Amino acid sequence: MFLQILINSLIAGAIYGLVASGFSLIYSTNKFVHFAHGATVAFSGYMLYFFFGMLGLNFGFSVILAILFAGALGILMNILVYKQLRSRRAGNAILLIASFGILILVESLILLFFGADVKTIDYIAVSRGLSFYSAIITPLQIVIIIVSVILFILLMLLMKKTRLGKAMRAVSDNKDVAEIVGISAESIYNWSFFVGSLIAGVAGVLIGLEQNLEPTMGTSLIIKGFIAAIIGGIGSAPGAILGAFLLGFAENFGIWYLPSGYKDAIAFVLLFIFLLFRPQGILGKKK
Amino acid sequence: MFSAYLIHLLILICIYLILSLALQLAIGYTGLVNFGHIAFFGVGAYTSALLVLNGWPFWAGFLSAGILSALFGFLISWPTNKFKGDYLALATMGFSFVVYAVLLNWTDLTNGPLGIPGIPKPQILGFSFIDNSDFLVLAIGITIISYLIIKRITVSQFGKVLEAIRDDELAVKVLGKDTLKMKSYALAISAFFAGIAGSLYAHYLTYIDPSSFAIMELVPVLLIVIVGGLASLEGTILGTFLIILIPEALRFVGFSSSIVGPMRQILYALILLLILIYKPRGFYGKVDLE
Amino acid sequence: MLKLKNLKKHFGGVKAVDNCSFEIGKGMITALIGPNGAGKSTVFNLVSGIINPDDGQIFLNGTDIANLPPETIARLGVSRLFQQSRLFKNLTVKENLLLAFDGEDTKFLKNFLGLNKVNKEKEEIIEHWLKKVELERFKNHIAGDLSYGQKRLIEIIRAIINPHSFLMLDEPVAGVNPKLRKEIAAMLLELKKSGETILLIEHDMDFTFGVADKIIVMAKGTVIAEGQPKQIRENKDVLEAYFGE
Repeated sequence: MFLQILINSLIAGAIYGLVASGFSLIYSTNKFVHFAHGATVAFSGYMLYFFFGMLGLNFGFSVILAILFAGALGILMNILVYKQLRSRRAGNAILLIASFGILILVESLILLFFGADVKTIDYIAVSRGLSFYSAIITPLQIVIIIVSVILFILLMLLMKKTRLGKAMRAVSDNKDVAEIVGISAESIYNWSFFVGSLIAGVAGVLIGLEQNLEPTMGTSLIIKGFIAAIIGGIGSAPGAILGAFLLGFAENFGIWYLPSGYKDAIAFVLLFIFLLFRPQGILGKKK
Repeated sequence: MFSAYLIHLLILICIYLILSLALQLAIGYTGLVNFGHIAFFGVGAYTSALLVLNGWPFWAGFLSAGILSALFGFLISWPTNKFKGDYLALATMGFSFVVYAVLLNWTDLTNGPLGIPGIPKPQILGFSFIDNSDFLVLAIGITIISYLIIKRITVSQFGKVLEAIRDDELAVKVLGKDTLKMKSYALAISAFFAGIAGSLYAHYLTYIDPSSFAIMELVPVLLIVIVGGLASLEGTILGTFLIILIPEALRFVGFSSSIVGPMRQILYALILLLILIYKPRGFYGKVDLE
Repeated sequence: MLKLKNLKKHFGGVKAVDNCSFEIGKGMITALIGPNGAGKSTVFNLVSGIINPDDGQIFLNGTDIANLPPETIARLGVSRLFQQSRLFKNLTVKENLLLAFDGEDTKFLKNFLGLNKVNKEKEEIIEHWLKKVELERFKNHIAGDLSYGQKRLIEIIRAIINPHSFLMLDEPVAGVNPKLRKEIAAMLLELKKSGETILLIEHDMDFTFGVADKIIVMAKGTVIAEGQPKQIRENKDVLEAYFGE
């Protein structure tokens, strides 16, 4: 029993981590809450369904297309909305409200084109769980955990070792000084949205395979991802991942005692506690 | 002779107007970006419905809805006292979700996702407001009184302190005023009116379930406040008419009912984004959103 | 009137205020000067309650106010002007000033029942001050629309109207034109004549030496010299602090 909960926690943590890390990257570079990130995740899942399930294209090719389209959507959101608002000196509250607007817009468009019914992507057909001691885990779930770990490592390498990563950190630390040394903040913003949304694309593909697709999935995912990022330390990719696994554990162990319907409430209570007592999160630095 | 459809729309306008005036007081006048507003609406609706179904007279259920919501509003101002702007929005959004989760899961009390059917129409002093045209008169009356009360507050010196808190809370403190107390009053009053709007809503539709009080239901209300303009009650009135009536035009364009839903959301989202980018002060706004 | 004792405030590794002690006498204008980063504004924030000290005491007429919240300290008689503009920019000049008079406007019921109307006395006081600084025609203008110097004047008036026994002004004439500077200096001297106690921070030395009875010099978080303007002018330590070795 305990082992099953542990495994469920790891899977949940991996999924939340995929959402939270991309979101966190965007937040740390752009300094506002891009709530519409959830829509990018949902969009990616639906794109996979569209290319593979509806058009019948090769699975691998569909996956790549879905992820790339997600990255493109991220850049589009930045250019069409956020850039316009930033040039008009919009504050964080406005950017947050705008991100809600984008989230609703994308979700409603998905609803319009694909319908409200739940969609499944029939690639890895109903996987029989593999037994692992007293617990069950499916091959897809193992893939999710492995892929997320690889992605986290890649993300950390990107941020620490590459020029792009360093430029993003420079803009995050001090945009004006970064511009003085020749970094174009606008282009870095676009890059952060692209990379963050690519990660969201991976998340969307994996989640679409593991759970089913429905138009509002993005909202629930970004809420969890956002909470995970706050708990672990918003603005820090390792923090977001740490927070994600903590959240996964808290939820799954929590519903051992509470009725399962309160799972989401656990996340919010945690959010509240952290906002009150440690708003910078576990790994975050005090502002 | 007014068509039933028009009466229905006017009732909705009344309910949303009260809800929006309440949010306007919090955001436009006090600067509190309260994303938990819909939770107050829900608490009010369920309180009124449950009390009246248990034999309480309508006016008692109605007032209790307001008072209980006001209490929640008061309580939530304490932990969120130091939060500003987007942090406050996200914390209060969390509150909204917790309330939603409770409405959905405390089935013994709220009947969970099945909702509460059979809520009686209002009955005051023996007169039952069963006809929608009668209900409209009641709704208009309550709306006018609500408007007058809120207007009174905003025009008074008390209202000016709220606006000062919006503009610079620290400077208000340094003038010797207890800003936490003021903000908690503002949220309590805002929640009160959201609560009575909830009561009207419940007794009009006669059926409520948690889905009417999910976080996304905040969007039209927030849109009304922004489109009308912050810190403008007249703007809120205009905004309510626009936001409630415009999507109704969709029905006449010939869309099937399964499309009207998402089209309405798309319309709201587009209006929101366009207003934020091109006309952030809305129609009559006197203040910028920070 | 005001006595600081071994006040200490560190921000991480930065010793903003370190073992700072001084006294402000009643009925005098005292100026707090020093190079940037000396800790002057931090001292102001500590006294007005915006931040709490790590150690030390702050006595206002004998009461230790070191850890009280800003609104309580304000009600004990401290009125403060900030270095950056903190006007209520969406309210009119008159509305800005009306808020300074008393705490009656925080009483919900009283205001709702119409028992706290703006009375003639307050209107007259506002007229009097606005006329004094030649800004009476801006009475109903939105405060945010005024020029920098005009805003500064309104904020000074707001601090004066706010009932107080002790006035703290952080850089009252920063960025203000010379003519206005003279007017403000004259205003401060007039206030002193009527018995006010004023503590100010300023970088404009001509202005400071023109109004101050006593000067306290801070550097690196602590007091390095105090005395009358003439003494300070010739003080070796002070010159060193400002211009280096």
